[in-house]
Amino acid sequence: MSCQRLRNWIEERYDVEGMKRLARHKLVPVHQYEIWYYTGGIAMFLFILQFITGMVLSFYYIPYFEHANKSIIEIVTKLNMGWFFRSLHHWGAQLAITALFIHVFSTFLLKSYRKPRELLWISGFMLLGISIFFGLSGYFLLWDERAFAAVRVATGGAGNLPVIGGFIKAFLRGGLDVTGDTLTRFYAFHVSVLPLITLFLVGIHVLLVQYHGMSVPMSLEKKPLKQIPFFPNLFYKDLIIWLLVLGLTVTLATLLPPEIGKKADPLAPAPENIKPEWYFLFLFQTLKLFPGEILGMNGETIAIILISCGILFFFLIPFFDRRSSRGEKSVLFTWIGVFYTLYFIVMTIIGFLS
Amino acid sequence: MKRIIFAFLSVIACALDLFAQEAAPVEVFPTAPYDRYIIFQSLALFWVAIVGLIVIIRMKLKEIERVQKMGIDREEKDIPLLD
Amino acid sequence: MKINHSLVTRRTFLNTLFGGWLAAFCGGTFYALLKFAFPTLGKEPDFVVLKTGDFMDISPNSVKPFAWGGQLGLFYKKQNGSTYALKGVCTHMECNVTYKPEDKKFYCACHQGWFDEDGKNIAGPPPKPLEFFDITTEGEKLIVAKKGIKVELPKA
Repeated sequence: MSCQRLRNWIEERYDVEGMKRLARHKLVPVHQYEIWYYTGGIAMFLFILQFITGMVLSFYYIPYFEHANKSIIEIVTKLNMGWFFRSLHHWGAQLAITALFIHVFSTFLLKSYRKPRELLWISGFMLLGISIFFGLSGYFLLWDERAFAAVRVATGGAGNLPVIGGFIKAFLRGGLDVTGDTLTRFYAFHVSVLPLITLFLVGIHVLLVQYHGMSVPMSLEKKPLKQIPFFPNLFYKDLIIWLLVLGLTVTLATLLPPEIGKKADPLAPAPENIKPEWYFLFLFQTLKLFPGEILGMNGETIAIILISCGILFFFLIPFFDRRSSRGEKSVLFTWIGVFYTLYFIVMTIIGFLS
Repeated sequence: MKRIIFAFLSVIACALDLFAQEAAPVEVFPTAPYDRYIIFQSLALFWVAIVGLIVIIRMKLKEIERVQKMGIDREEKDIPLLD
Repeated sequence: MKINHSLVTRRTFLNTLFGGWLAAFCGGTFYALLKFAFPTLGKEPDFVVLKTGDFMDISPNSVKPFAWGGQLGLFYKKQNGSTYALKGVCTHMECNVTYKPEDKKFYCACHQGWFDEDGKNIAGPPPKPLEFFDITTEGEKLIVAKKGIKVELPKA
């Protein structure tokens, strides 16, 4: 089974020994925070899982508003294992976004974004935004009442931005209102535009990680740390974690398959007690905090502007946090990180309970 | 057996269209007890396979660490091939 | 490291065990994926149910098409009044055949294949005769079934 001829063929053309040497030379520091290193790998693994399950689901899904809901019902009720793969895609998405949030907050709190890794933070943050849009567009493909209302709210919210809001809203909706045109548009986003951007950004993100090496938390930077090779030691540990995540996803998919709601009717009133997906809950709750009118201005517009500023600040944090870039302690930004994390968690929980 | 289940499910699916106004919830999980049994059995088997793999990987990791401790990371060039 | 008299090193043993287990694991997982990706629903039906009134009254020496799954089925009445049902798909390259009443033959235009009124391939490239079905009537129901299939109508 050693396939000597094939090996020779490859070795004559490519510098395999060099690549092996390169792989052996990648070292990863060992310390008590290393568990957070795995969240990025988990997210990537779940993305791969999403790509595969999404490909097979798209064999059967019909992106037309008359048939969309029914085609999913047929996938679930009629096809071999159809219920399972839809459920797996659903739970893969939920866990991927969970992993991404943990990844981004742990990066924030460990200040791994500091010089020279600003671009890593930027690309990672864009990936988080894209994943949320993935979630919204994928959810809309169900074409049930809840998804319909959620997309109306989300695109309408973007429409509240000053100046560019109307343009964004029209671009997302493909018209003045959420209609069947929005469905084809979101389908295109979900299956071609976003995956291609994701591949590109993940490529950059991973390459940058290779280039910079793993970040060491500031408190440990001065101490001599033990280093272990990425391949094979950490690779196998990653593999163990991936297997556990796969098992968890499959178990959730089997035990808790997601429901399919009633087919959306653009003229019907929004159903009672409607709630968006959990990763929108903190935004949803924030919007509720603002009164309808503040000092004669539209309260919603102010809320959207404030939220946008908060997100923009989060996005550009490596450029604001000068102290940690210089390698000094930056207590203020630790507290900002704690505030962001707590705000997200608390608002999500309130959203769940209310 | 399978054919009967399929026929039965498609009848349910067709009937659902008639009652679309009343919105009977869609069965998102196979209803036949036999199918359910098979599914849970497969899930258990899947976990057994995962645990087995993890055990093997841990053995491999131990072996790798042992080799690294001995300081012979490289495979010797002149060991005879076994094929 | 190798124990005396052992054929394999510990590393080889572990590699083989790991590789084999991984291959089996991935194989099993992808088998499920492939089962979903290749549907069994698009396959040929075992039987179809038609309305008797639509078909029994056609004139002798003519055919009337019906849907056999996604393919063409032909209901055929011979000159003498006996009725048959057959799959209207040429056995050569799966083109749809037409009936030529003047010759009492089935003709496939793709590669000039000819079948006689019993479906036997008599000229041209077709390797096998046309497939004939069993017909049974149950009141208003005309059941066209594959030969040798026991029809179980869903109770509805």
